[in-house]
Amino acid sequence: MSFYLLQKRTGQLFHWVLALFFLVIAVFPIYWMINVVFSPEGIPVSLDPRLYPSSLSGGIAKIKDIFFERGFLNAYYVSFIYAGATVLLSITLTSMAAYEFGLYDFPGKRFLFAFAMFALIMPKTVSMIPLYLTVTNKFNWLNTFKGLIIPGLADVFGLFMLRQFIEQIPKDLIDAARVDGASHFSIYYKIVLPLSKNAIFTLAILIFNRTWGQLTWPMIIEQEQNMYTVSRIINWFNQPDTWVTSDSVMAANFMAAIPPLIVFLFFQNYVMKGVAYTGIKG
Amino acid sequence: MKINLKRNYKHYLMLTPFFLMFIVFFVYPIIYGIYTSFYKWDGIHIPEFVGLDNYSKVLNARTTKLAYKNIINYVLITVPIGMIVSFILAIIIQAMPRKWGNFFKSAYFLPSVIPLYLAASVWKWILAADVGLVNVLFSKIGLQQVAWLTDPKYMLYSLIIVDVWVSAGFNMIIMIAGINDIPESLYDAAKVDGANKFQEIINITIPQLIPTLFFTTTWGFISALQVFEAPWILTGSTYMSYGGNRNALLFPVMDMLGKGFGSLKFGQAAAYGVILAFVILFFTSIQFLINKKIKK
Repeated sequence: MSFYLLQKRTGQLFHWVLALFFLVIAVFPIYWMINVVFSPEGIPVSLDPRLYPSSLSGGIAKIKDIFFERGFLNAYYVSFIYAGATVLLSITLTSMAAYEFGLYDFPGKRFLFAFAMFALIMPKTVSMIPLYLTVTNKFNWLNTFKGLIIPGLADVFGLFMLRQFIEQIPKDLIDAARVDGASHFSIYYKIVLPLSKNAIFTLAILIFNRTWGQLTWPMIIEQEQNMYTVSRIINWFNQPDTWVTSDSVMAANFMAAIPPLIVFLFFQNYVMKGVAYTGIKG
Repeated sequence: MKINLKRNYKHYLMLTPFFLMFIVFFVYPIIYGIYTSFYKWDGIHIPEFVGLDNYSKVLNARTTKLAYKNIINYVLITVPIGMIVSFILAIIIQAMPRKWGNFFKSAYFLPSVIPLYLAASVWKWILAADVGLVNVLFSKIGLQQVAWLTDPKYMLYSLIIVDVWVSAGFNMIIMIAGINDIPESLYDAAKVDGANKFQEIINITIPQLIPTLFFTTTWGFISALQVFEAPWILTGSTYMSYGGNRNALLFPVMDMLGKGFGSLKFGQAAAYGVILAFVILFFTSIQFLINKKIKK
């Protein structure tokens, strides 16, 4: 074997060892979470570590416990309403705006678009306090779904992404529809929306994951337990005064991870395309 | 003008829902926040005008200095490590046969699918004292346990582990997209010159990838300055008590929310937000200017 070949083989070996090393780091914590959940009840895995899930019934009992004894079921319901309504309403608003910015010229267009894009450079977390004061004092929406959902609807990233897409729809198509007597709104509804199916779906997944993963705003606006989201419950489980066992926290973690994991499993390409496209974590 | 409005009203009508929400829940709160920052207010009683008092109180508070000291340490370590790891992941995948590359890409991206608060909650119980996996393994092999979450020497590193674990896959995707845009001909030319893989990376991939690297670094930097959820969970914080042992994981956003909801000093919390916004905007504009130079 020549020196060159040897060098190449060593390089390849190093490459695969490194690849597997990172694979373990990426996947193991998730695997460990599942492992802790599906282990016999009452015996913490930490005292008797096993590297594979060992008790299906133990896992089911733990999940049942957090769902029915610890208010997780209600949190699941709140989180799904929060994420679902945000996806639907946000896409309605942003696609309507993107339709105008992408296909038409009208006075003030450039100004309005720049005005919206200004939000991209404004750090969002920073306006949390005044947003809370606005939503509670002016609207009285503390501990309501309205307070949870409505403030997050004007999604500038969504607007930007959909406009990029809608811009590419051939103008001839729009003109032809207009000649056929289609109204301004029906062009949006019957032509532009169906043509942007893919982009809208990518955005929907992005918004769903982002909303499901939101902790800060739910924590601020929902202060009563019957309005806790999944994220807020897990935050609460991790506080020192709740005395929840590591098994229960892991069961909660596991159940909270399931929706985004399922979305990823089925729509992997959309999820990654969304990231590559907007460059922003969902 | 009248005719104009008649012709254009339909456009404005379609834009109204978006901009109504945008103004009421984004623009107005910013202005309201600046206004509130000049008042002493507990959120209940009538606000009392105090001028710049809130600003001087915030700027002189011991916790503010600590929070900024912590954030500087955190950003300076986590952003470079995150970028290096993401870049290595991207290179690993790029050098693989396509089929394997897709598999590893999905696996490396998996942690980015998990919400940040959740990643913190999972890692918290891996790093926990006594019952956490790491410490159990440590004692099995006869090593001293490490208080990852309560010893100020290690707490920052626990947070960095969580942050890098979640964000590396995400930045990797952006970098792979950037690497795919590099013209194949550059690599062919290098091969003719007899360059090995390592030389290719140094001489072609990295220089060609600079705009992408700059973009991911900028975003990493700006979001790291607003770090909140992961340290909040890792330290088991509440509005009344946050930042962990000896405030080792106290950060600006956390301190701001604590001032508001813990001690009901909304004027000070608003002032804190305005200051933080200026800090972040300052860095954003510097990066914007550098970016312009790079593109030239």
